[in-house]
Amino acid sequence: MDFNYILDALPDLMRGLKVTLTVSGLAILLSCIVGAVGAALRTSGFKPAEYLVTGYVEFIRGTPYLVQIFFIFYGLPSLGLRLSVFWSGVAALTLWASAFQIENFRGGLAAVSHGVRDASASLGLKRWHHALLVVFPLAARAALPSSMNTIVATVKNSAYLQAIGLVELTFVAVDRIAYDFRAIEMFFSICVIYLLCVFALSGLGHALEHRLNRPFAGR
Amino acid sequence: MGQTSNHATGGSQDVCVEFSNVDKWFGTVQVLHDINLTVGKGQKVVVCGPSGSGKSTMIRCINHLEKHQKGRIVVNGIELTESKRSIERVRQDIGMVFQSFNLYPHLTVLENCTLAPRWVKGVPRKDADALALRYLERVRIPDKANFYPSQLSGGQQQRAAIARSLCMNPKIMLFDEPTSALDPELVREVLDTMAQLASDGMTMVCVTHEMGFARQVADRVIFMDAGRVVETAPPDEFFRNPRERRTRAFLSQILH
Ligand SMILES: Nc1ncnc2c1ncn2[C@@H]1O[C@H](COP(=O)(O)OP(=O)(O)OP(=O)(O)O)[C@@H](O)[C@H]1O
Ligand SMILES: [Mg+2]
Repeated sequence: MDFNYILDALPDLMRGLKVTLTVSGLAILLSCIVGAVGAALRTSGFKPAEYLVTGYVEFIRGTPYLVQIFFIFYGLPSLGLRLSVFWSGVAALTLWASAFQIENFRGGLAAVSHGVRDASASLGLKRWHHALLVVFPLAARAALPSSMNTIVATVKNSAYLQAIGLVELTFVAVDRIAYDFRAIEMFFSICVIYLLCVFALSGLGHALEHRLNRPFAGR
Repeated sequence: MGQTSNHATGGSQDVCVEFSNVDKWFGTVQVLHDINLTVGKGQKVVVCGPSGSGKSTMIRCINHLEKHQKGRIVVNGIELTESKRSIERVRQDIGMVFQSFNLYPHLTVLENCTLAPRWVKGVPRKDADALALRYLERVRIPDKANFYPSQLSGGQQQRAAIARSLCMNPKIMLFDEPTSALDPELVREVLDTMAQLASDGMTMVCVTHEMGFARQVADRVIFMDAGRVVETAPPDEFFRNPRERRTRAFLSQILH
């Protein structure tokens, strides 16, 4: 393997990484928000909202991710919505990740005991105070491990976006291979870079988990 | 304790809780039949009865954790209706302690106690902390203020839950089997706290099978069976000379 070649390609790869991290970062942020709201709607008891969210989750989970990306990039313009490559990528990744975050948060909500509801009601706490100050932190903690898996998968799945021409990390590697035929060097490099990203994220997740678990550690 | 405000909807100032002909159904199953009950200011009422007899449901109707379908419930002169306002007003006056403590597990004992004062009443943090510490001292766990519930024994958790309720300065305290989830050696400390509260003049409704506590503290003991109030009597009479056959059967089981 030619390490000099890798060094040579590094600036290009870093530019790709920057796009990968930007797109994934936005998608992670947005999907966590959509996930929390979606899970709240999904368990709201308001039937139309529940069906809508369930339908959305089932649709995303039941269709190929690549088809969803193509649908947004090639399909939406004919419906009158034209997004740039970048925002198509963010939209596709967000839509995909949101479906899983909704399920993760729903699991988190289910883990919150009914007892605290009674406690808050008897103390006269308003419903949204209870939701924000009690249910949300407890549900977030319960959802964290599965949510972390989705976050890691979101970063990895940003690679699919090269299919619509987003110049992210995988695109850069594949592009260079097409010219220089240094497949081993390029795939080795991007694997290492993805792994480092995933390790960093997992580390962050574990630290957060540790922090949120402190009250539950017992004596 | 605070003064009883009288929002005269009928009922004298000295009546805190009044049930008139209250029925409740869960779906198609009727779990409360024609409940009549009056709790005067400062009175202590103990409710007992077999499992499934409707004790929890009845006591939870007092602060509208369960809603009744028929009859009237009036608390401190305010009738409980579907209106949010009446529910809010009634809950301001009532504290409740549960069998399973129901503390907020992600908050320290102090934060458990200050959450409602701060967010419901808008008490500034420093004042809420001071208030909470005063009540934690009263239930004798001031040293646990900065611990999480999981770091406390069951008895300490229940006393923390009592302090949390007291921080809202209630006029009535409801207890739903506050000691049944506790190891036997921890029951005493919670009952002592409750007895102290009683001697301070708090109006109390307690679902409990601690008959020693009932003897010591109660003005009246109520026996429920199958969703009805079967017998009501002062503790002496209730234990020495129960009128109803079902009460006798129940007592003979409870008092071994
Ligand atoms: N949420 C509910 N939905 C349907 N039925 C219920 C519900 N809660 C209670 N019940 C029923 O209502 C009846 C009274 O229950 P309740 O919990 O008030 O009894 P209890 O006297 O407190 O019993 P225990 O001593 O076991 O706590 C029971 O038959 C119970 O199965
Ligand atoms: Mg009960």
